[in-house]
Formats: sequence, C-alpha cells, structure tokens
Amino acid sequence: MPVDIIVRNNVRVSGRGSQPMLFAHGFGCDQHMWRFIAPAFEADYRVVMFDYVGAGHSDLGAYDAERYSTLDGYAQDVLDVVHALDLRDVIFVGHSVSSMIGILAANREPARFARLILIGPSPRYVNDPPRYVGGFERADIEGLLETMDRNYIGWANFLAPAIMKNPDRPELGAELTESFCSTDPVIARRFAEATFFADNRSDLPKVTVPALVLQCADDMIAPDVVGEYVHRAMPASTLRRMQATGHCPHMSAPEETIALMREYLAGLATA
Amino acid sequence: MSDASPSLDALPCGVVSFTDDGRIVAVNRPLAELLGHAADDLVGRHVETLLTVGGRIFFQTHLYPILRLHGVASEMFVLLRHSDGTDRAALMNAVRHERDTGAVVDCVLMEVRERRKFEDALLRARREAEDANRAKSEFLANMSHELRTPLNAIGGYVQLIELGIHGPVTDAQREALARVTRSQRLLLRLVNDVLNLARVESGRIEYSAEPVVLDTLVDSVLQMVEPQMATARVTHEVIAPPGLVAVADREKLEQILLNLLSNAVKFTPAGGVITVIVEPDPDGRHVLVRVRDTGIGIASGKLESVFEPFVQVGASDAPHREGTGLGLAISRDLARGMGGELTAVSERARGSTFTIRLPSAGVPER
Repeated sequence: MPVDIIVRNNVRVSGRGSQPMLFAHGFGCDQHMWRFIAPAFEADYRVVMFDYVGAGHSDLGAYDAERYSTLDGYAQDVLDVVHALDLRDVIFVGHSVSSMIGILAANREPARFARLILIGPSPRYVNDPPRYVGGFERADIEGLLETMDRNYIGWANFLAPAIMKNPDRPELGAELTESFCSTDPVIARRFAEATFFADNRSDLPKVTVPALVLQCADDMIAPDVVGEYVHRAMPASTLRRMQATGHCPHMSAPEETIALMREYLAGLATA
Repeated sequence: MSDASPSLDALPCGVVSFTDDGRIVAVNRPLAELLGHAADDLVGRHVETLLTVGGRIFFQTHLYPILRLHGVASEMFVLLRHSDGTDRAALMNAVRHERDTGAVVDCVLMEVRERRKFEDALLRARREAEDANRAKSEFLANMSHELRTPLNAIGGYVQLIELGIHGPVTDAQREALARVTRSQRLLLRLVNDVLNLARVESGRIEYSAEPVVLDTLVDSVLQMVEPQMATARVTHEVIAPPGLVAVADREKLEQILLNLLSNAVKFTPAGGVITVIVEPDPDGRHVLVRVRDTGIGIASGKLESVFEPFVQVGASDAPHREGTGLGLAISRDLARGMGGELTAVSERARGSTFTIRLPSAGVPER
C-alpha cells in the first residue's frame, strides 16, 4: 500500500522535473548523504530519496531479519518505492552497496529503469583467488564488524540513554540520533554482513539497463580493478574515472560528481 | 609534533590532522610512537594507513560521512595498526574545520586497553543474554505446541465418550466429563497464550497492514463478547464516528480489542458499563480506540506492570480471574508491531481505560 511504503522508507520527493531520479544511500548512512548533490538535479528531475528499512528515519518496526539478510531484500525496498510512487523511466543513483541493490532491482524489473548511475560499485568485496580481487579478506570484514559492535555498544547502548536523560542539553540527543545513520546495532551488523559477504558477479552480465560507473581514485572499498571489472562485465556500461579520492565523491567532490552525472545524462538526451 | 607546535608532543594522547581527502598534515610524537613510526614518516601519508583494514572500511562508511555531514565525531572506537602488524584500540574525537586552503580534520586519539577488555566482557554477556532469551522463546513455542497435541486428544476423546460412542454414559459420568472438558479448555487457552507470547517475542509474527474502518471492526468484535457481557450482566455503549480509518493488521487489531473487551468484562461487576470510544489523535496522524470500564480498576503504581508478561494485578485482593496474565503483554507487543501503542489509565474502584493508538490512514504530512 503506497502510504505505508512512503512512511516505512521515509520517502522524500522534491524537484520540478518529471523524470524521476531515485537516490539510494549506501551502507552506514542514510539519505542525508545526498544533500550535496541532489539539489543540483531538482530543476530538471523529480528527485526521490529514501532510507532503507533499518536506516535513517525508516520504520524500524518493519524490519524483517530474514528479508534483509541478503541484498535482495533491499532491492525489494527499491522496487516497493518505485511501485508506491509508480515511478517509470527511473534514473537510479546508487552509492556503494546500493549500486548492486539497484542492479538487482533493475534486473527484476528492467522496464522501470532508464539509467543506472553507480558510485563506487563492487560486486564482491572479498577476494576470490586466483581470478578475482575484491580488495578484502574475510578477517578484514570481521575487523569492521568488531569496530561497529564497539561503537554501537558504546554509543547506542550506553551513552545515548545518559544523554537522553540530560534535559538541559537536548541538542546532544538530537545530534546523536542524527549522527548514527543506522540506529540499531543488530540491523547495522546484518546489513554489513549482507553487503560485504555478497557475491553479485553473476548479476552484472544480466543488466540490460545502460549504466554509468563512477570510479574514484584511491578508493580502498571499491578499488580501480573492481570498477574496471564491473564495467567489463556490464555490456551497456560507461566507466568514468574521477579525480576525487576515497569512497564518497558525492560528499567529498560534489561538483565533479554532479558534472559527470550531467554529462552522462546530457549524452542521452542528444543520442 | 611534526609541522605543528612542539607542545602537542607533550600531550598524553595522540593528535593527527588530515585534509578532506585523507592526507596527513600533522601528527604528534605520542601517536607516532604508539604506532611504531617516526612522526615525520607519517606526514603526507593517507590517514587510512594508520587504521586496520576493517578500521578503514569503518572510516569510509561511518566516520567520513559523519565528519562531512556533522563536522564532529565524538568517542568513536577505532582500530589502529602498529607497524609490526598488530592492532591498537583507541577512542577518537574529531572536528572538521573549513579553512581557506580546504577542510582539515583535527583528531585526538587515546589508546583503550582496559576499557576494551571491559567491553569484551559486556559484549559477550549481551550476546549470551540474547541467545538465552531466544532459546527460551523457542523452547516455549515448541513446548506449547507439544502440549497442545495431547490436550486436543483429551478434548476429542471426551467428546466421543459424551456422545455415547463407547457405550452408554450415566449422568454422573456426564457431569464428570463436563468438568474434564472445562479444565481441558482452560488449559488449552493458557497454552495458547504462552504460545502467542513466545511467537511475538521471537519476532515470528508477520503483520500485513491495510486500511481498517474502525467503527465496523468495533461492532464485529463486540458481537463476539456479547454472550460474555450478558452472562456478567454488563452493558456496553459505543462512541465511534463513522469513517475513521487506521492502518493496521485487521486480525491483530481484532485480537487486541477482543482481549481488552474480555478483560473489561472480567473485571467489571454486574451492572457496570463498558464504553468503546473511537476518535482521532490530536496529533492528526493517529487514531485512538479506547475501552473504558467501570470495574475494579488498577492502583496507579501497578499500572505499567499489567503489561508485563505473567502479571495479573489485583489477583491477590480480587476474586480469582482465570488467565495467564499474558493477554496485555501480547496486545501491547502487537500494537507496537503495527507502529502503534497500547496504554492504560486507571483509578482504584472507578475503572480503567485502555487506549490503542494506531497510525491513521490519512496521508501524513512529511
């Protein structure tokens, strides 16, 4: 039911255009991460942002451990939003793990999607020797999980209640809940496992929707060889290497990100 | 401190500054020593190289977004990497400043050794508690299921005997069989309650939200309890403006309302009145269904505990009421599962009002 999905996924719609541009955030954050680039597209597109169930201001009560134990459950969130707003001709913009989530969604209902813009995609984070380099060993991911556990145990479970009981400084509580994009440690951990232990290599050749791959320099999460792999495995893809370094060019280099997206989309208009 | 004030080298903590793209511009000696490096070697490197690989992923997925979006990160746990390959746990506070030359993040790091052990113990304890609780719920769910099978057999065979299928039945036997049936039904209901609670607790309940027209639903549930009300000589009235619609799982909402009405009947003396009121929440985004009785009431200090499993308030000084005391615990869990809430207000000897709050089907303002 549409109303339900809008609330469940904290869907926000803005912009004056008609073609929908659907922004899907990555692991560890929520739709706030788009705030440096999304406004640039409001003049020409119908900008749609949302939080996956379990992230940001989504309805945590709608969380289903089984559904969200794989990226398919998250892809269903994308399709639920698409159907709730009856979006067609969608330009999907996904960061990091949302690139694969968008691919899964587009493979299930290709007719709904016009283009995919994938920022820092990786179909598999863990190395699969001898032929595939993802950049990580399983032990590295365990290290991430430990760091997450400790931060959540420190923040969410102990500090947050203490701060919430500090009525003379309510801004502390607000800041805290805003800061932690994923509020529930169990959900965050399961999302991390679904993300970093996924293997979506076989989904890439099935993509029929044209895609832009934005590859940062020195991205340790999705290294250059992975971007190259994604590009080669997806027949209708364009690979653009960025000046921006790191894994979050939409936050560290919004101008360059916007320019490359515009250039790609303008190419479509004239083609 | 390399490229910075030498006094920072005297601090009992690590200090590092890096640009938005991660390049280290300054680092103090204590941090360099903690990681087995010379301070000068670290300047110009990427800040990620100070972290374990897992720590780097955390930096990219959590820390960087927080610093970029909020400018501040406080008391973050990070795993640093020593030059010998071992790791060092540290707590970090960081602030991001916009400067003419670009943004710089200033970071203070303190190694945490004892605290890490303490957290290990806490984490272990929490997982054990969660596992134990899950095991308990699963045991209850399985056990209740196992208990129902023989209970159903008892009920079935008693019926066969009553029907005279195994030979003629005397009046005395018939009366005894009626007692067996009553006890069997009571026991079955208790087992079902435990099973329901275990299901709710183990998160195995699925909700299917749909628009539910409340006045119609209230009417249909009232019909189910009318026989009970007649026996208890309790009357009812309904104040429900037509057209109020909630987003809820119809069956679950019926279950909650049935539970509240049955309770109201149980705890209201003959001649009492039960009132069901449906009204919009003043917040404009929810609807309220209230069940008010003129019963024995609940002392204010005990109001919250009626929602605890296995609690029956008033059982000590009131006539014995049958039931497991699970109904309200289950009902509250169900209400919350639908994005709502179940609350109560009450006054001793004056009666109680239980309120179900549910999302309204109107499009909320976002």
